[in-house]
Amino acid sequence: MNSAGIAVQFSALPPGVVMILAAIAVPWIPHMARQAWMLAAIALSAWGLTTGAGEHFVWTALGYEFVLYRADALTFPFALIFHIAAALNVFYSAHDRKWTEHMPSLAYAGAAIAAVHAGDLVSLFFWWEATAVTSVFLILSAGTSRAQKAAMRYLLVQVASGVLLLAGAAVLAAEGAGIAFEAFDFNGPGAIGVWLVFLAFGIKAAFPFLNGWLQDAYPEATATGTVALSAFTTKLAIYALARGFPGTDMLIWIGAAMTALPVFFAVIENDLRRVLAFSLNNQLGFMVVAVGIGTPLAINGAVAHAFVHIIYKALLFMSMGAVLYRVGTVKASALGGLYRHMPFTMVCCIIGAMSISAFPLFSGFVAKSLTMSALGYSGIVWAYLVLLFASAGVLEHSGIKIPYFAFFAHGTAYDKKLFADGEAPVGMRIAMGIAALLCIGIGVFPAPLYSILPHAIDYSPYDASHVVGQMQLLVFAMLAFIGLIRFGLYPPEIPSTVLNSDWFYRRLAPRIGRPILAAIASVWTSFVTVLRGYRDALWDLVERVMHAPITGPTVPGRAVMVQTILLTVILAVGYLVAG
Amino acid sequence: MVPTNTNAETDAALQRLGRNFTRLLALIAIILVPLEFIAHRHGEIALEDIPLFPAIYGFLAFVFIVYAGRALRLLIMRREEYYDE
Repeated sequence: MNSAGIAVQFSALPPGVVMILAAIAVPWIPHMARQAWMLAAIALSAWGLTTGAGEHFVWTALGYEFVLYRADALTFPFALIFHIAAALNVFYSAHDRKWTEHMPSLAYAGAAIAAVHAGDLVSLFFWWEATAVTSVFLILSAGTSRAQKAAMRYLLVQVASGVLLLAGAAVLAAEGAGIAFEAFDFNGPGAIGVWLVFLAFGIKAAFPFLNGWLQDAYPEATATGTVALSAFTTKLAIYALARGFPGTDMLIWIGAAMTALPVFFAVIENDLRRVLAFSLNNQLGFMVVAVGIGTPLAINGAVAHAFVHIIYKALLFMSMGAVLYRVGTVKASALGGLYRHMPFTMVCCIIGAMSISAFPLFSGFVAKSLTMSALGYSGIVWAYLVLLFASAGVLEHSGIKIPYFAFFAHGTAYDKKLFADGEAPVGMRIAMGIAALLCIGIGVFPAPLYSILPHAIDYSPYDASHVVGQMQLLVFAMLAFIGLIRFGLYPPEIPSTVLNSDWFYRRLAPRIGRPILAAIASVWTSFVTVLRGYRDALWDLVERVMHAPITGPTVPGRAVMVQTILLTVILAVGYLVAG
Repeated sequence: MVPTNTNAETDAALQRLGRNFTRLLALIAIILVPLEFIAHRHGEIALEDIPLFPAIYGFLAFVFIVYAGRALRLLIMRREEYYDE
């Protein structure tokens, strides 16, 4: 085979697949060489993106066209940021000598990238489930029984999402709507299928009341695992919504609820990685609203937000992962004063916090402005006010709470041995440093980000009016925080569990379900007991007939008689059933 | 092992840091008020054109979130071992 032949074949391979193949070799490669191997796999996969737009691999089978590799203006930004996130994870986890996390982490990223390039619902289903079964190992790796239970719940929910997706695809195919993954029509053929697909996407996008898995599972993963988890699954869902349901009005309602509700949970949550999981949910809300608006500016907003969000959310999870790695906990009630011990991590955390809060010159600002402008133009005032409110909420939990309670709040006497090796491991610092630079770089120079968005736009976030308005919102909200702290009105951090929608299946369902199951079981048992009684009576009868003293028919004669009676009964039953 | 005892020396340094940060923030806030009119700030929606709307909205939203969160504790806060029982 000549080199051109190999090149042609490689270009038809969906990006990400090469990462999954490379992941298979990970256990056999020694530490550090393994990190280089993974980076090479990610680079090779990213090189595949240069193939450009088009349908590069279509497999026709069973009368259906399976589009395994479709690239266009919507897939590219997601594919690019997924590669960047995967590479950052390789740096961040460089200290980890075990292969057990590196392998699923690389395969998970690869599956998410391949999913973005799926052009039909069946291929999408395949990769959709692949992200679930690879990522669950990142939670299991934590090794605690809490993590194991959370991992199983996570897997159940994720697989259920995939099953709904496949069911939706089946309905659409049966109703003649086809399995192509394009914009869906709720009023077209196979409407039930469209709803099933919508629900499948909604679970992974953490819609209200479908979000329990996110806050339940993500904070239970390892320090490095949560960083990987934060990047892919939910943003794959945002991509899927942007592809399948742009301009769906319902999404504005759903997204607005997503931005506002987690804010209140995040205020009182004590586990800082769980606070970030609530914050992640709130950020997804902004993207869902943007998809719901559906105008070119709004879709650009959703994509730009997903792009920058992956970086700053990873950065925030990285900084908390570094704290967890060094101190052994991320409970706000047990932390404080870490700025002296982990200054680099603190600075990176604050950069992430300022980015997510959308301070001007940081990446969140240039992305969120697109969505807010699109929402303003659409004239949906109530949603605009909800998102503005949620922006103050983001500042509260991610902008202030995370850095304040971890690094400041009060001086805490830590064991000096914890920081004997310096602060976070060097790999973690490299990853955090790159992510922090990207946050500022994109914030200061948004043009390259804008140039890769799906629609060509002429938009500048940096006009004086816009900047002053945003600064007012943020600075006066921060003053409110300082006032509340000064007057002792800010609620103290309390070690606790904050109930979320996973309560319905973790507590309510067992509480109601167990008595119902017990009742069904007892009814069944008594039914079986009654049947057993009839059976025994029948055998007793046969025994009596067979063993009675020989005065009537002979033994074979009696046997024939019994058989005749039984066959007559069966015949009668047969007639009754047939009739 | 989770350290819980506080460090007095760090506490004093943090208080200084807090005071300085508050001063800086207050200064920025004071500058932002006249900038409102110099920059002819206008919003995406008509309501936002009310003078100092983002400042007032941000402040009130923040206070509301914190107080609503406190109230919400009564409803949805449980012991740390709630699910482990």
